[in-house]
Amino acid sequence: MAVLGIPILENLYPSTMDMWPLEAKEFNRNWQFYENLKQGRFTTTKCKDCGLVSYPPRVICPECYSENLEYVDLPNKGKIIVFSEEVKGVPLGFESPLIHAVIDLGVDPARRVLSRIVNCPAGVLKRGDEVQLAVFPVPALPIDKGKLGTVMSERVFFAFEPVKK
Amino acid sequence: MARNAVILAGGQCKWGVREAHLVDLFQEAAKACLNDIPTLKPKDIDGLIVATSYAGRCSFQVNTAPVIAERVGVKPTSICTRCDTLCAGGSTGIILAMGLVQAGAADIVMVAGGEKLYTPQKWEVFYSELASVDHDWDGVHGMGLPPPFFALTAQEHMMHYGSTKEQLAAVSVANYNYAATNPVAQMQKALTLEEAMSAPVVVPPLTLYDCCPITDGAAVCIITTDEIAKKFTDRPLVYIRGTAQVCLNSVSANFPGAHLADWKHTRIAGEKAYANAKVGPGDIKVAQTHDCFSISEVIEVEELGFCKKGEGGEFCGSKQIELGGKVPVNTDGGLLACGHPFGATGIRQGIEIMKQLQGRARHQVKGADIGLTHNLSGANAEHTVLIYGREPVK
Repeated sequence: MAVLGIPILENLYPSTMDMWPLEAKEFNRNWQFYENLKQGRFTTTKCKDCGLVSYPPRVICPECYSENLEYVDLPNKGKIIVFSEEVKGVPLGFESPLIHAVIDLGVDPARRVLSRIVNCPAGVLKRGDEVQLAVFPVPALPIDKGKLGTVMSERVFFAFEPVKK
Repeated sequence: MARNAVILAGGQCKWGVREAHLVDLFQEAAKACLNDIPTLKPKDIDGLIVATSYAGRCSFQVNTAPVIAERVGVKPTSICTRCDTLCAGGSTGIILAMGLVQAGAADIVMVAGGEKLYTPQKWEVFYSELASVDHDWDGVHGMGLPPPFFALTAQEHMMHYGSTKEQLAAVSVANYNYAATNPVAQMQKALTLEEAMSAPVVVPPLTLYDCCPITDGAAVCIITTDEIAKKFTDRPLVYIRGTAQVCLNSVSANFPGAHLADWKHTRIAGEKAYANAKVGPGDIKVAQTHDCFSISEVIEVEELGFCKKGEGGEFCGSKQIELGGKVPVNTDGGLLACGHPFGATGIRQGIEIMKQLQGRARHQVKGADIGLTHNLSGANAEHTVLIYGREPVK
């Protein structure tokens, strides 16, 4: 499909216009975070030398600069501290209502994680409501592999959703 | 002998939805700046610092400094560079220029900030705003445009300190009314409390006039030493007395305060800038704080020490930010009404404080001798404070 006004971009992928992270191993040393998401795990990195857990995941410990890190699980459930609902004027790429919440997952450093809330109509959420991790597919990343052609690298991303009572 | 940095002159183009290219806006602003100091010619300027964040995305132009240097007729020999701290870019440029002229590495530096944000297709700037915050961790949640983040902030301020929607509206009313006679402001209309209270909802509790618009525009100022400035002007000199720029987090999950209405990084920036400037909050006669949203100004007047923590709503709602109040704030209209072309904003603020301290502002604060500018950038990830005065720090 041609790009309006820029016919030379027909069937080409411009990563500078991609709203999702470049999650593939070839472009991201924290690719394991996204692989864990695919297994339903919400994870981050912990320093095996000084013990610091960082969110989001890193390739060096921001405290002691060690590269000796491991992935650890964060809770998949939390409570809403505060939330906002955007009904009109939702930006391209998102559906109305666009709900954002600060979520307390109960452990450091995830006591105030900002996330989108999905699978939830406007006007029903309350402060203190319990929410759980929701993983969903996003468009695959087309990677130019030279002679092998373009390989599609599957991607997922996360939000939180109300826990059904 | 110590070299003291001063802001010598400044000007901006008309801000708003502009039928112009990014480089056109910079040329208009450079002309407005030199109109403010007719004795200074482009050939006198030896340094250029350009502040722009969206040139790369919206104008397909990186390495912006040489592009702007050529267009504004400046041939830098000491520094020619660009800085990008989004909403604080202009202030960053002034801080860097200050350091260069104090150190003797530059003599007369033009600091030029601007953005062209309205693109031929309206969706693009909103989409590109996903780059304004930590893209992979906040932007990706649809948090690029900031109203949801500051709606959460306003809710937490209301929860913890009892501020009201009417107090937020009072900020919008004050700032719009300051801008009503400002010929270069994006919004030049008087606003009543009733209009502000009945405006369309953006993200509750924020409504239309609680949010600054998207703006095309540029602003330019000249930073030099006091000794050099005296060769060009008889106006009172306006010294940069002290500065601070504080960044404690990027991803919103690592916000440094106890909640979104507790701006620890603003406090640290204020305390450090006051200490460097050898003044305190009580010395500030006029301020330009970063009113990207009405709630921002409410929290900033607290964290910068103009009132007690938690009393910003009352402070703003009782006209303490208006002429005759304790600290008149955003006397040219602020971001809410002047608009907010990111890299230009800190320069606009510096120009207004310069005019206030020289006694030639449109809404003049009587006897203003010390003034402050403040910016926040991104998803409230960085705070920048500059303190200007009629005397250098001794």
